[in-house]
Amino acid sequence: MLNVEKIRADFDVLNPESPAKAPVYLDSACMSLKPRQVVEAMNDYYANYPACAGRSSHKLGDKVTKKVKKARELVTEFINAKSDDEIIFTRNTTEGINLLANSLGLQKGDIVLISDKEHNSNLVPWLRLRDKIGIVVRICPTNEDGTFNLDNFSQLVSGAKLVSVVHTSNLDGVTNPAKEIIKIAHQAGALVALDAAQSIPHKKVDVRDLDVDFLAFSGHKMLGPTGTGVFYGKLELLEKLSPFLVGGDTVESTSYDSYKMLPAPEKFEAGLQDYAGIIGLGEAVKYLSQFDFKYIAEHEFKLNAYITNELQKIPKIKIIGPEDPKLRSGIVNFYIDGTDMHKFAVMLDEMAGIEIRSGRHCVHSWFENKKIYNSARVSLYLYNMMEDAETFITNLKKILEIL
Amino acid sequence: MPCIVALIVFGIMGIFSASHRALAEEAFGCVFKRITFRPCNTGFAEKIKGKILSKLLVRSAFLAKMVNRHYEILSWIFFILMVGSTIWVGRGVYNFYVYGSCNGLNESGFCAFDPSGENNKVTSVGDDSSCGITQQSEQNVTLENINLSGFPAINTGSKDTVVFVGCYACDYSRKAYPDIQKLVKDKKSNYIFAHYPAKGDTMFLGEAGYCVQKEYPEKFWEFNDYLFTADKDYVLNKSNLDEILSKFGFDVKKISDCANSAETKTAVQDQTTELKKTNLYGTPTIFINGKAFVGPKPYRVYRSAINKFIFF
Repeated sequence: MLNVEKIRADFDVLNPESPAKAPVYLDSACMSLKPRQVVEAMNDYYANYPACAGRSSHKLGDKVTKKVKKARELVTEFINAKSDDEIIFTRNTTEGINLLANSLGLQKGDIVLISDKEHNSNLVPWLRLRDKIGIVVRICPTNEDGTFNLDNFSQLVSGAKLVSVVHTSNLDGVTNPAKEIIKIAHQAGALVALDAAQSIPHKKVDVRDLDVDFLAFSGHKMLGPTGTGVFYGKLELLEKLSPFLVGGDTVESTSYDSYKMLPAPEKFEAGLQDYAGIIGLGEAVKYLSQFDFKYIAEHEFKLNAYITNELQKIPKIKIIGPEDPKLRSGIVNFYIDGTDMHKFAVMLDEMAGIEIRSGRHCVHSWFENKKIYNSARVSLYLYNMMEDAETFITNLKKILEIL
Repeated sequence: MPCIVALIVFGIMGIFSASHRALAEEAFGCVFKRITFRPCNTGFAEKIKGKILSKLLVRSAFLAKMVNRHYEILSWIFFILMVGSTIWVGRGVYNFYVYGSCNGLNESGFCAFDPSGENNKVTSVGDDSSCGITQQSEQNVTLENINLSGFPAINTGSKDTVVFVGCYACDYSRKAYPDIQKLVKDKKSNYIFAHYPAKGDTMFLGEAGYCVQKEYPEKFWEFNDYLFTADKDYVLNKSNLDEILSKFGFDVKKISDCANSAETKTAVQDQTTELKKTNLYGTPTIFINGKAFVGPKPYRVYRSAINKFIFF
């Protein structure tokens, strides 16, 4: 069981001087809140040892090197990677996927298979490569309720060089059957990359168990700092990738007409890194690791089930994704036909400080295809209480009375 | 439509508040998209609607419902009111610039730019000679059929004519006097001075001035300047008159004899009677090319009245 009250005590934003001013934060799929431990770790870096890692041999530099190394070890352990060298620090998931797209050496005619509800970060890089070098982007349609269609996938994966799919969708919270997808893809000779931005914060992701080739996720959705992320790759594959961003810190030595690249992960981490962010990310991993993800999932399901149940009583509200909240992680994304959902978000915030996301959630392609203008998304996390869900429902009903 | 209303409202509020400035910027973005024939997809209109409805909903669900239902109509009403009030404000600003009062020439109603009504204060010429704001229709104050030939004048023949009717004892006349001198100097306009004894006993100064003009015309303006600019209590004290006359090198006896003569008293009285025909109700009253400006207006008002195109 999660002790939500104890967890909430770690988040300053949830504990303002006046309790009435505490936000009802239901937008963690966009950005999670940060526990004090993460903020303090970053402040500590800036206040006490704001030096370079891996190059300066003084005490401060040495301390940064050790802290960054520790953060990498924590991430390695967190996703059960084989080696620290498989962990590349990036700015976010988008950068991780771009790294892959621009380093994999795809050629004209190579097929990349994605699903029909990818975040723009796992759609645009491939479409751009299609326009630039002529790769083929194949779209795998999901079921009507948003769940993954393995039959469609099995048919479409044939000939694909790479499968790049979302693990847990930010659109509807559906978690795709990654293990089966990877197995089928490997049998078909395709590499697999997972966009794990929404899964890593909410469930145990074991890269070795999944046997996934590449995986990208962001720090800011898992209690970590903004501008931090991780790109994982199997070491033997990383060795074959040619980095698209090079320069300082990526090379062992240079002459005026040659250079010798460092191995992974250094060759992918060009330039001075966001050390404070990386240290903060390590702290976030440490913080999350103290919980059993089973309990986080249970907690999110309990709140999701309540909200889903209440929303299902309102005929004009349509929930995106499967009806069963168990299949939607901590996400409840809903809309009303012909209604701009932005005003719901604004009104909830104005009335009771309830912060939800409205819009197309960077999955414009899906909304365009379904001809839905936009939606309002509630996303839950370990610090949300049942009271948050109740406050949301109470105020939503008030709004619906007048609209 | 809500974007235009929001732009105007937040634009004005943004002068005083940074948060409203940000909203004004958003509204501008929305309006700019509309006027460049692009869809306003910034979500701003919905955001504003949401903010308004949520504020209302906290107070009254019924009211919020009504506003939501008639939001577009209400937006139009607000827009029309906004345009009306903007024009009204524009008119007020114009009036204030050109006449010194938001409400028009010599109108003494409340004006935000001149809240104490300084530009309309006069010493009334009635029996009570009270000082302050006296409202009267300016249309009645006119120089038509008024004979000004006996009053001191300079720059005769100029295309512009300024007539200053003031009282030596009137603070407001004393306030306006330097501006009128500056105006006459700058614009080289025909300038006629008329003393009107609005307050206290200033007839003796009027009579003295009449005689100075008669006996020492070349020194009259210097003398007149002194009466308006020197310490008021000193000037208004009859016993100081001889000393003042001496200062200017006048023959005191000659001026005194002249001032005490029946002819002077009749002439000065006739001048006052003539001035009364203008229907003036307070001093200072300044006629610029026939238009009456009652009360001490800012200098720009006088200048605008002479300028061809208000500003130049």
